[in-house]
Amino acid sequence: MMTPMLMTALALALLAGPLGCFVVWRRMAYFGDGLAHSALLGVAVGLIAGMSNQIGMILVAVLFAVMLLWLRTQRLLATDTLLGILAHAALSLGVVAMALLGFEDAEVHDYLLGSLDNVSADSLVYVVLGCGLALGLLMRLWPGLLLMTTSEELAHAEGVPVRVYEFLLMLLLGIVVAAAVQIVGILLITSLLIIPASTARLVAGQPETMAIGGSVMAALCMLGGLPVAATLDVPLGPAIVTLTVALFLMVLSVRLLAERLNLIN
Amino acid sequence: MSEPLVEAKHLNVRRQGGLVLDNVSLTLGERDFITLIGPNGAGKSVLLRHLLKLENPESGSVTHRHGLRIGYLPERFQIDPTLPMPVKRFLALNNKLTHDQIAELAAETDCENLLDKPLVGLSGGELQRVLLARALSNDPHVLMLDEPAQNLDVSGQLRFYELIDALFEKRQLSVLMVSHDLHMVMNSTRQVVCLYHHICCSGAPDSVARDPEFIQMFGNEMAQMMAVYQHSHAHDHTHDHDHTHLHEMKP
Repeated sequence: MMTPMLMTALALALLAGPLGCFVVWRRMAYFGDGLAHSALLGVAVGLIAGMSNQIGMILVAVLFAVMLLWLRTQRLLATDTLLGILAHAALSLGVVAMALLGFEDAEVHDYLLGSLDNVSADSLVYVVLGCGLALGLLMRLWPGLLLMTTSEELAHAEGVPVRVYEFLLMLLLGIVVAAAVQIVGILLITSLLIIPASTARLVAGQPETMAIGGSVMAALCMLGGLPVAATLDVPLGPAIVTLTVALFLMVLSVRLLAERLNLIN
Repeated sequence: MSEPLVEAKHLNVRRQGGLVLDNVSLTLGERDFITLIGPNGAGKSVLLRHLLKLENPESGSVTHRHGLRIGYLPERFQIDPTLPMPVKRFLALNNKLTHDQIAELAAETDCENLLDKPLVGLSGGELQRVLLARALSNDPHVLMLDEPAQNLDVSGQLRFYELIDALFEKRQLSVLMVSHDLHMVMNSTRQVVCLYHHICCSGAPDSVARDPEFIQMFGNEMAQMMAVYQHSHAHDHTHDHDHTHLHEMKP
């Protein structure tokens, strides 16, 4: 029982590090949150269409991203307003659909906050495969994504197809959401992306070190969170995220102390 | 005559109802040094973005010579402080520059002592030199610079324009620059194009300064000042920008 869970957690941590960096650098935290909110609808869609949860979630995530990008070009409302509308529409629709489909409240709760029982051996294949593909794509796009994060105009002028890259980044976020829902839950997925990356930022001087550092921190917290949740019988997502926050505060204190002692500047 | 590097024909661009570019045609040939001047909102940056093919015009066309490489220095550059990015990493982003090539580039643009610093903490002048190095990183045929000296103090401006002049000579490239610094530009520029939605006038700085449309746009005083300034330097294309120039230019 613990092995698929462990492998899922590690695959997820590996992807969450570098992807979380882009969420931080490009200020996509609210977008990630919105995308996560659409995941319940994805579960319902998957069930109705007879597909796996993960495929349903990725489909809904893609739809979410496409609608956001399209609405944004209409320039009617600010992006954060659009995100708010889309996110809560998706969440409400998702909860309503799941209730109509006969899901128990407890099951919905597990999707929202993550659970040890959510991970099964057959979903493991999807998650590891999805994370592996996503990581490969991310590594391939890495130099162009970094350039467009530094300056979108420069990237555009140097021939990086920035709109395509932006969409692919959203797709990657959709994949990480689909993979992470079972463990950390819909409400806390964004924190799994941004807290480890922010912790790594405190010690990193290069983009790559920040990305790898983020993965390592995420992995540590997942590995720690699993036994904590099992032993104390608390929801898994909040247990993991509490650990990431604790780690963040520790690294922050060490850094501030080092600055105070003039060890670094 | 050789094939032009960049050729814009009859560009029309509309923004929020108004015509920003009205039948604008412009040709940039080998070894040209063109400075685009004009009041705020005249469409200078819009024209540059179209020449770069970052945007498509409503009508008209932009043609690049086959295999053309353009180095671009954008008007705005703001990096998120959470992105740790040392200068030398930035220069090598998304290309295959070796360590030696980066060092060479840095020497050329006066950035040697900046290579290990993060982009975020650089001063305005330092950042512009780094962006210039980045613009040169693909060994361009053309440099396109959008108000490259806008945030620099006077000595910083002088230094930056000297740098561009030196690159123009050494690298045998063409330059197209948008600039507000009329007084600075006139000395180092071979050709001035004055834009206000349409091309009002173009030519050597002294002839542009006598053009009625230019005088109407920038005022008689500026025109006279430039004519005088240009006259005393009419055949002086060397790079000895000493500071006495500044006193001469005061009205």
